[in-house]
Amino acid sequence: MRKQLLIFPSIIFFFVLLVFFYLLLIDRDPKEIPSALIEKKVPNFETQSLLSNKKFISMEEFGYKTTIVNFFATWCKPCREEHRYIKRLSNEKDIKIIGINYKDNSQRTIKWLKELGNPYSNIAIDSNGQIGIDWGVYGIPETFIVNAEGIIKYRHVGPITKKIYDNFYLKIIENKK
Amino acid sequence: MIPSLGNFSLWLALFFSIFQFIISHKKNKHSVLQFNKIATNGLLLCVLISFFSLMYSHVVSDFSVTNVFQNSHTTKPLLYKISGVWGNHEGSMLLWILVLTIFNYFIYKLYNQKNYIFISKSLEVQAIITIGFLFFIIFTSNPFERMIPAPPNGLGFNPLLQDPALAIHPPLLYIGYVGFSAAFSFSVATMSVSAKEKIPWYTYIKPFALVAWTFLSVGIAFGSIWAYYELGWGGWWFWDPVENASFMPWLLGTALVHSLITVEKRKSLQSWVLLLSILAFLLSVIGTFLVRSGILTSVHTFALDPARGVYILTFITLLGGYSLILFGIKSKNFLNKHYFSIFSREGTILVNNVLMITVCASVFLGTIYPLLIEVFSNNKISVGEPYFNSTTIPIMIPAILVMGIGPMLSWNKVNTTKILKKSFPSVLLSIIISGIFFWVYRHYNILGLAGIVLAFWIMSNILLALTQQLIAKNNKFIQGSTPKYSSGMIMAHLGIALLILGITGSSMWQKEKIMRMKTSDNTTIHNYNIIFKEINKITGSNYIALQGNFWIYDKKNNIIAKLKPENRVYPVTNNTTTEASIHTNLLRDLYIVLGEGDINNGWVIRIYYNPLVIWIWIGAFMIFLGGLFSIKNSLKFIKRLTL
Amino acid sequence: MTRTFSLSILIVIITIFFLKTNIYSVEPEEFLENPKQELKARNISKNIRCLVCQNQSIDESTASLAKDLRILIRKKIKEGYTEDEVYKFLTDRYGDFILLRPPFKKSTIVLWFLPFVFLSIGIFVLFWHHKKSKRKLL
Repeated sequence: MRKQLLIFPSIIFFFVLLVFFYLLLIDRDPKEIPSALIEKKVPNFETQSLLSNKKFISMEEFGYKTTIVNFFATWCKPCREEHRYIKRLSNEKDIKIIGINYKDNSQRTIKWLKELGNPYSNIAIDSNGQIGIDWGVYGIPETFIVNAEGIIKYRHVGPITKKIYDNFYLKIIENKK
Repeated sequence: MIPSLGNFSLWLALFFSIFQFIISHKKNKHSVLQFNKIATNGLLLCVLISFFSLMYSHVVSDFSVTNVFQNSHTTKPLLYKISGVWGNHEGSMLLWILVLTIFNYFIYKLYNQKNYIFISKSLEVQAIITIGFLFFIIFTSNPFERMIPAPPNGLGFNPLLQDPALAIHPPLLYIGYVGFSAAFSFSVATMSVSAKEKIPWYTYIKPFALVAWTFLSVGIAFGSIWAYYELGWGGWWFWDPVENASFMPWLLGTALVHSLITVEKRKSLQSWVLLLSILAFLLSVIGTFLVRSGILTSVHTFALDPARGVYILTFITLLGGYSLILFGIKSKNFLNKHYFSIFSREGTILVNNVLMITVCASVFLGTIYPLLIEVFSNNKISVGEPYFNSTTIPIMIPAILVMGIGPMLSWNKVNTTKILKKSFPSVLLSIIISGIFFWVYRHYNILGLAGIVLAFWIMSNILLALTQQLIAKNNKFIQGSTPKYSSGMIMAHLGIALLILGITGSSMWQKEKIMRMKTSDNTTIHNYNIIFKEINKITGSNYIALQGNFWIYDKKNNIIAKLKPENRVYPVTNNTTTEASIHTNLLRDLYIVLGEGDINNGWVIRIYYNPLVIWIWIGAFMIFLGGLFSIKNSLKFIKRLTL
Repeated sequence: MTRTFSLSILIVIITIFFLKTNIYSVEPEEFLENPKQELKARNISKNIRCLVCQNQSIDESTASLAKDLRILIRKKIKEGYTEDEVYKFLTDRYGDFILLRPPFKKSTIVLWFLPFVFLSIGIFVLFWHHKKSKRKLL
């Protein structure tokens, strides 16, 4: 009876070690949180549009074309670095990119876009971060892929870098179908 | 040149440790003894040279050494340049190894005519552990890596870590973890060697286990003290994974030091001691793994490579696998046919073991559960304070109850009516004292009640024990039948009682006030009147700060204190920190934090009234003292053995 | 070595990122007028994890996201949300990770159940020992 008692904890010991090994060997970021919005419909929101006098109404923006949603701000250094890749993505056919200007100053953003280029078909102003909360944003930049039916398919946290670009691009192609 | 010396010494140390491992297989007793003398002394010397080479490089700000560059700066005060040596991954590993080789040396010093096989085997196991850590540091975490060209200055250092409590926290913890390595080595040696030598192996384990447990206790206490006055919310324990990593070996260590008593006195619970020695050390290394592998994030984690994690994990697997399998096979030789009743001193120690292990298992489960979920689903969850409080507190309560009555019981079976008779005075006393307490304070809630009663329950039992001893001293007739209480136990248990008192007071009856204040505004908290006198800009050695000046008045309008919380900016790393200002007395802490603000709108001020906090630290200190007394007593036994 | 280096730089940047914006934990201006509602908000906040901090609740945290969430929670309470509805609102957007007290779900049954199992095993061990000793000592 004692022997069996002792085998049990040893099994647990090795099982736990296996879990640790697995977690170490796969590519993961312990700080990253998976999005709770994957496979769900895009949140509805209405706000000001940055570059036009019209309102930004989310219902009008989604549901017909594959859309990239990029949360960005001028005070965010990594956003500045990823901007060229966002611009590159805007060259892709049959998709559009929406920017959400997160807790920023509109004048500064317009200047920023003038300087760096504007890949966005439309830009929503999220002045107090509440739209970000509705999208489960916790650290910008964050970029979402929304398919043509308005379902959120993928989220990337952090800047799109050279290393990540190809993978992200493939994800877009995947969801274009 | 010095850094190269340091690196060379590390390699030399590796060779000495391999040498120590190999020679234990030789047959000639005399030569093994001589060679071990060379090995242990050589190891210690090399690691000392290596460690002080690193310290030298930090003190003279040699930025050609990557470790110094990443963690130091010319403006760092000398004390923190020194403590900065172990305030990073590579340096702290070197400190681990230093403590390991110091204990290795002490194990060698225990050699005598009668314990040759046992000590040699223990040194062999200790050598394996040392080899493992030396390989790790030399090949994956070498503190002596160089940068060419040497930059003019370093990356500065996190100002949060420039603190005396935090400076001493790691060395104390490492003495704890490494002490358990000695217990581990003795345990494995006990099971590996045949019974040719009749060794009281537990007498050897005891001082090391006690040293480990004592220093782990005080190390954890310093970490909590630091958190309390540095982090700004009057909290001192957060169930952070790395805090748990130090708490789990402590729990097993508590079970271990208690079981050692029964093994010594009654020869029972031997296999428990062997297993607990193994598990306490394994959990210490697993804790090291959790902090340094990058597998999870916490306040403490060093930013690290998963590759290093794989190394440590492999080491744990081999060491743990071997020792647990050995235990599985050999432990039946240590089963003792001596049966004792639950209702006896031995029985209460067994109860204590069971409860400590249960708490440890729950804490372990809560700590790794998010990792398990991540593997088996795509989800991530958090297991935070609410979970740990709910699962550990209900089990600690019966443990404390038993802790009160346990030492009063005799070793033989005590029947239940006798137990009730024995405990009646202390039950009465605790009720009376608790009653007085609540009559004075008049704040009730269930947990608070439980905490206070439990604390006074322990104290009443101790008071009773001391009275008994005093009476027995003067009355020869009952001297024989009165159990002798060790001073270590009295102090440590008293320490726990005070700890509970402090924990209960500060958790249950804390008062908080958050408001925006301009200079010359005033506010009140719990009978104190607080006036925000002025705000000043001040300069420190490597920071500039905004300092608020608050005058505290009591009910009778006497001034009690002038508290000066600060907001500091460290220009080198561009960090900002807040330094709370605390006024302490035996009854409560008054704790003020200065938030953001400006002269026009005023500043956000947070004021805490924390009752009984100082008793947490007094209790921890008593536990430490109790441990020291017990260590001293256990060394007496070892001296007798090794003469 | 360079990987560690860049990793640490990244962490420093990210922390500066979130430290620099502003340094407020619960501010007096956030307080709700109704003390009962305010207490409810504080209790909920103490159970919500700050996602950009290391193991803190949003009640204690000085991060700007924590502040946004605190304001949001108070808004919802004023609108009449119950405690469970507030938690659902947050977990719909951030997942279960944001709760410091793990929820009771299929996936967490083991987590909540096992401590009882441990205790039961412990009590069983004590009982078994008691039975054996009773037999032997008689």
